Amino acid sequence: MNGLIELLNVHSLLTVQDSGRPGYRKLGVPVSGFMDDYSARIANYLVGNPGNAPLLEFLLAGPTVRFNASAVFAVAGDVDVKLNGTQIEPWTSYWAKRGDVLEVGTLRNGLYGYIAFAGGIKCERLLGSCSAYPKAKLGRPLKAGDRLSLGYAILTGREGCYLPPELRPDYSSKEREIRVVLGPNLEHFSEAGVGTFLSEAYTVTPESDRMGYRLDGPAIEHSQRGADIVTEPLTPGAVQVPANGKPIVMMRDAQTTGGYAKIATVVSADLPLLVQSRPGTRVRFRAVGVEEAQEILRRREKTLKAIEGFLAGGMRAYKIKIGKGERIAFAKVEKG
Amino acid sequence: MTSMIPELKPAGDSALLISFGEIIDEEINGRVHTVARAIEKAGFEWLVEVVPAYSSLLVVYDPLKATYAEVESAIKPLLSAETESFRGRLVEVPVVYGGQYGPDIEFVAEHNGLTVDDVVEIHSRPVYRVYFLGFLPGFAYLGGMDERIAAPRLEKPRLKVPAGSVGIAGRQTGIYPLESPGGWRLIGRTPLRLFNPSKEPPTLLQPGDRVKFVPIDESEFREIY
Repeated sequence: MNGLIELLNVHSLLTVQDSGRPGYRKLGVPVSGFMDDYSARIANYLVGNPGNAPLLEFLLAGPTVRFNASAVFAVAGDVDVKLNGTQIEPWTSYWAKRGDVLEVGTLRNGLYGYIAFAGGIKCERLLGSCSAYPKAKLGRPLKAGDRLSLGYAILTGREGCYLPPELRPDYSSKEREIRVVLGPNLEHFSEAGVGTFLSEAYTVTPESDRMGYRLDGPAIEHSQRGADIVTEPLTPGAVQVPANGKPIVMMRDAQTTGGYAKIATVVSADLPLLVQSRPGTRVRFRAVGVEEAQEILRRREKTLKAIEGFLAGGMRAYKIKIGKGERIAFAKVEKG
Repeated sequence: MTSMIPELKPAGDSALLISFGEIIDEEINGRVHTVARAIEKAGFEWLVEVVPAYSSLLVVYDPLKATYAEVESAIKPLLSAETESFRGRLVEVPVVYGGQYGPDIEFVAEHNGLTVDDVVEIHSRPVYRVYFLGFLPGFAYLGGMDERIAAPRLEKPRLKVPAGSVGIAGRQTGIYPLESPGGWRLIGRTPLRLFNPSKEPPTLLQPGDRVKFVPIDESEFREIY
């Protein structure tokens, strides 16, 4: 295979991911896909791709990559990036020419970073998706020497797109609030247990991967019905609490069913914030209603659409001062 | 308690759980699959997928296309539908029992005061029900095992169990779809591929199917293999 992109160095888990593999969960196949869909979608927008295009997801340390043909790329994450030894910026799209070498360093914050290429990574779609789920031999972790091909992007690839720092996700806090919708197995928890879950801080442990994050903190008390349930379907974001009372938050590669009671489910818009929490990060959970969770997601979608429009040149971003704070507002660029 | 009128509740902002109560029961599971089909067939544009289990099913939807309340009210009329007796396909699964394919069959026999032949006979007699798939791609939760061949899990799980291995854990029996670590007592192996991602559908077994194990010998195993 005459790949356009050659991996020279791979330091940690590096996989191809896209928006995932829905439709096969009833056959036991996890949904997989981007761990941090917010950063991944922006990485794709930076190079002019649709948000769901296949890209590279790296854990902590990025790879070194050689271009065997010219291509437009962008890196998402708080990380040092070098092109042929010269420092360049993350959250910015560049044009690499044949022979150029891209070195992505180690993330200063967060756990997962992304490298998107205009045209997307070309790969064999298994069950409708390029997302690697090595456990079932649906793709595999990439290693040094692997070569990747890119999709056709002559018309859409664009360099020089730049996401201002104010618009980048911030994964630097040592303590963060994660919003949840309570349930669906609330009857398995005592009132005190729910109180503990919502008032205490929980620490992300090193036993955390694409399948789930184990948290440590004060034990959550179950009701008389106990920790085990008759096995039920499970969704990413579900907070399972086994008999030891310590929560496990299910992630993208989680099994499709589970037998521990679920106290809550993380709201979709906040899942990236938890995904990007390194071991040692403290999280506090706050309950919101399902309507509010969906409103939060709609607002986030609006922001992502605005960012896509901004990067495509159809939107302008403005800094607005509100009191002492600042926020970014978008406006459509008038045509003609 | 259980009832034929299920409870609907949010499972986060992108899924709704329909629960018929916590019970493992063929009739309830039949209702689960009937409702799952009705929802799949209704053509809702917000529907992502339906995931059934023993006595509950998860309706995964796109919250940018419909709110929880909208999904709930669209689903409710489908729950009162008359229960048609749901019958999946009958799938025959050939199994070589014992030997290198089922190294724990003697343990299962001794544990229950039976001979190895008894174990094979008791295990291959019933028609099992695929309650649902989960745990691993293509792994079927089977109902209907005779308690006379129940056996505890291994104290120390094996690091590698070959794909196709047929095992017993407590009162459950199942087939490993992929090579993986595992603590089930292995009594045999099927040459059939339980999970093949280049096929559509990718799994041999579907939710609601019925399964009959057919004893075969080693030479037949190689032929099918």
